[in-house]
Amino acid sequence: MNTLINKLFNRDNRTSKDDAKQRLKVLLIHDQVDLTPAQLDAMQDEITAVIQKYVEIDRDNSIVRLERGDDRIALISSVPVRRVIERALPA
Amino acid sequence: MSECIVITSGKGGVGKTTTSANLGVALALQGATVAVVDADIGLRNLDVILGLENRIVYDLVHVIEGECRLKQALIRDKRADGLYLLPAAQTRDKNAVTPQQMRELTDKLKEEFDYVLVDCPAGIEQGFKNAVAGADRAVIVTTPEVSAIRDADRIIGMVEAAELPEPQLIINRYRNKMVSRGDMMNKEDILEILAIPLLGIIPDHEDIIISANRGVPAVFDEASVVGEAFRRCARRVAGEPDVPELDFSEGNGLWGTMKRWMGFGAAAQGVA
Ligand SMILES: Nc1ncnc2c1ncn2[C@@H]1O[C@H](COP(=O)(O)OP(=O)(O)O)[C@@H](O)[C@H]1O
Ligand SMILES: [Mg+2]
Repeated sequence: MNTLINKLFNRDNRTSKDDAKQRLKVLLIHDQVDLTPAQLDAMQDEITAVIQKYVEIDRDNSIVRLERGDDRIALISSVPVRRVIERALPA
Repeated sequence: MSECIVITSGKGGVGKTTTSANLGVALALQGATVAVVDADIGLRNLDVILGLENRIVYDLVHVIEGECRLKQALIRDKRADGLYLLPAAQTRDKNAVTPQQMRELTDKLKEEFDYVLVDCPAGIEQGFKNAVAGADRAVIVTTPEVSAIRDADRIIGMVEAAELPEPQLIINRYRNKMVSRGDMMNKEDILEILAIPLLGIIPDHEDIIISANRGVPAVFDEASVVGEAFRRCARRVAGEPDVPELDFSEGNGLWGTMKRWMGFGAAAQGVA
């Protein structure tokens, strides 16, 4: 059963406790600022819409996430902006 | 100097009552005077875990409402000198008591006892607020599971908000075999996430179920590994420095070796 679950999720090199720990880390940060991952996604969509009014961005490679620093939690965002030259080139 | 310690967790069923009973008995067997208070009003449990359910006449709510004196409601455990239980009311709800009343009650108990251990109900509502009201510090119980640790984190925040000092952690129902094959978070994983000091690790062990069947907490059994794990926690609670962590991996470690030597082999086998 263990191996079946592992195969299904293609996580042969990860033990279930690694998953537990990873999930917990994300969960606790979101709990502590009372913002669910889905709400964060919604926020990212809104932020993206605003940025897109001014510059063209690479939506697929943008990141918005919460990270725990030394004594505070920070909202980390990286939004790649396309250079004008890329836009000028024919597709 | 006496102390009021609340045993809490957030999530239900992780071992608060088991821990309260075993720590209470262990501290008493070590020579301290102890009152264990069941603050789970409406869902009385500590009495059965301690095997004292047949001797209840008055309960915590009777005391608070002035229907009896505190001394009349305290049940003396004849097996452990200095151990007393203050049972919860079974047919009332948590709103029968206010945090202020609880604080007055535990303060009064502190005049008579070295330790007042409060068994907290699950949840973060009124019952939790009552249980922490008179506490000087908190022990958080968790199991090595995502849901329990998440709730523990929440409770740690609430304990801090209640201006109690940094709580200590008991990791209960630890299963060495699962940890070693990577299917259970280990001690380091959990401490990294919760970032509070460890009070002790309690193995998942059938002795707990057997002792609950009988109403005789596992610490009464000298040969029980899980009892020994709780005895060590109690020594740490009492301030004994450098109590070594128990190696309860099956058949290994000093405890396992001693057990085999002394012919208690079967007792160690219950470790899952
Ligand atoms: N270390 C353990 N090994 C095996 N079973 C345990 C252990 N700790 C608790 N249990 C079982 O888990 C259940 C819940 O424990 P309990 O102490 O009542 O939790 P809580 O007070 O937090 O709700 C009980 O049936 C108990 O026997
Ligand atoms: Mg309980």
